[in-house]
Amino acid sequence: MAKKDEKIDYVKNGKRVDGRKVEELRPLTIEVGVIDNADGSAYLEWGQNKVIVAVYGPRELLPKHKQDPRKAIVNFQYRMATFSVPDRKNPRPARREIEISKVCSEALQRAVFAERFPNTVIDVFVQILDSNAGSRAAGLSAASVALADAGIPMRDLVASTGVGKAGGEIILDLNKFEEDAPDAVDIPIAIMPRTEEIVLLQMDGLLTTKEWKKCLELGVKGCKQVYEVQRAALQKKYDAAGAVKGKEKKKEEKAAKKEKVK
Amino acid sequence: MNLSEKKLVIPGELIAEGRMKLGSHVFVENGKIYSDALGLFYENNEIASVVALKGRYIPRRGDLIVGIVNSEKFSGYTVDVNTINTSYISKDAVRDRLQRGVVFSAKINEVDELGEARLDDVRVFYGGEIFSITPVKVPRLIGKSGSMLNQLKDETGCNIMVGRNGWIWAKGGDTKLFAKALNLIEEESHKSNLTNKVGEFLKKNKVKK
Repeated sequence: MAKKDEKIDYVKNGKRVDGRKVEELRPLTIEVGVIDNADGSAYLEWGQNKVIVAVYGPRELLPKHKQDPRKAIVNFQYRMATFSVPDRKNPRPARREIEISKVCSEALQRAVFAERFPNTVIDVFVQILDSNAGSRAAGLSAASVALADAGIPMRDLVASTGVGKAGGEIILDLNKFEEDAPDAVDIPIAIMPRTEEIVLLQMDGLLTTKEWKKCLELGVKGCKQVYEVQRAALQKKYDAAGAVKGKEKKKEEKAAKKEKVK
Repeated sequence: MNLSEKKLVIPGELIAEGRMKLGSHVFVENGKIYSDALGLFYENNEIASVVALKGRYIPRRGDLIVGIVNSEKFSGYTVDVNTINTSYISKDAVRDRLQRGVVFSAKINEVDELGEARLDDVRVFYGGEIFSITPVKVPRLIGKSGSMLNQLKDETGCNIMVGRNGWIWAKGGDTKLFAKALNLIEEESHKSNLTNKVGEFLKKNKVKK
């Protein structure tokens, strides 16, 4: 962490401390279907963040008094592994984890067609294996992919990212160093990219109206980048097996064959 | 229909604009039709419908299913038929008393608003094994006019009863080979020319007597 009297340029010549541009995400990869016994699962690496998600359900919710006869309940459980942070984390679910579980549950509840499965629960277990700022965005993005993999009907995927301010600059996807800046503002945001409906929005810090508008614009842009990675991950699972050949792919193959013949 | 026209869609993806007949796994928002699941969409089809690649079995009236008896109640039995909620068989629907763990096939008579099914036409199975497959892949297991199922029956020599809920009862013959073939169908159900592939697999792995 930077000392108070020390001045750090969080953005210098358009580049950030870790060499990224202002509007650039950390390297993001998602793998689908990593847990055999789960109905749906995903593994995500986002910079130093490593997240594994398992989805079970919809299944009967017990005890029965917790059931809702109008809809399914999305039970999102965000947990950090003891070794996911530099100092050992107490495995007992802390205030922060319970809060993140709640807000993410509500975000996914909006995306899922919950009213089709009354009296049931959709369990989403998110385990953070390694973290470096933005782990709730990582967990939520991975969870929505795992839900799609489980075949649960959804209005849209949920794409999430962090956006904020460090050293007076508005930047996308803050890492831990940037998040610890003296004037840091951290805004996790999640949207359903098709309608740009915001399903999760939290803020820590102070911003002017102008800065806030810029943050929101940048956040939505970032979420759309995440969405493209999510879509590619889902398609890759079935494309890898040579499963689906769209028209375009067939055309490309034909063209390639013709060229070979020539 | 040309199979090459199928397209992989993800939840929330636009599949058609304008009016069309609606099939399964689609929803309409602002006059546009979107997919609600990860699945295959057949282009140039009159019906906007997505074939999901995964998902739980949702009971429908008239479906033939395979189940296991869970427990006996005063006037009926609660049974597990691979649905979200437990289903029910009235004692009027069965002639003999059912024991816990008995495997049976039945027809769904009625489904209520919570998705709980009431069953009828109960037939009890003695012996045999239960296998399972993802419920959305059952049509692939049966094949066009039962071609795949007949092939499986002929090559393995098993008595096979396929439930729409993804549970399959099989007895006699080479059930090990049947289980392997089932795995193959599960893994490659989204590919075309599956019946021939399974046919070749069965012939290759068949134990010669």
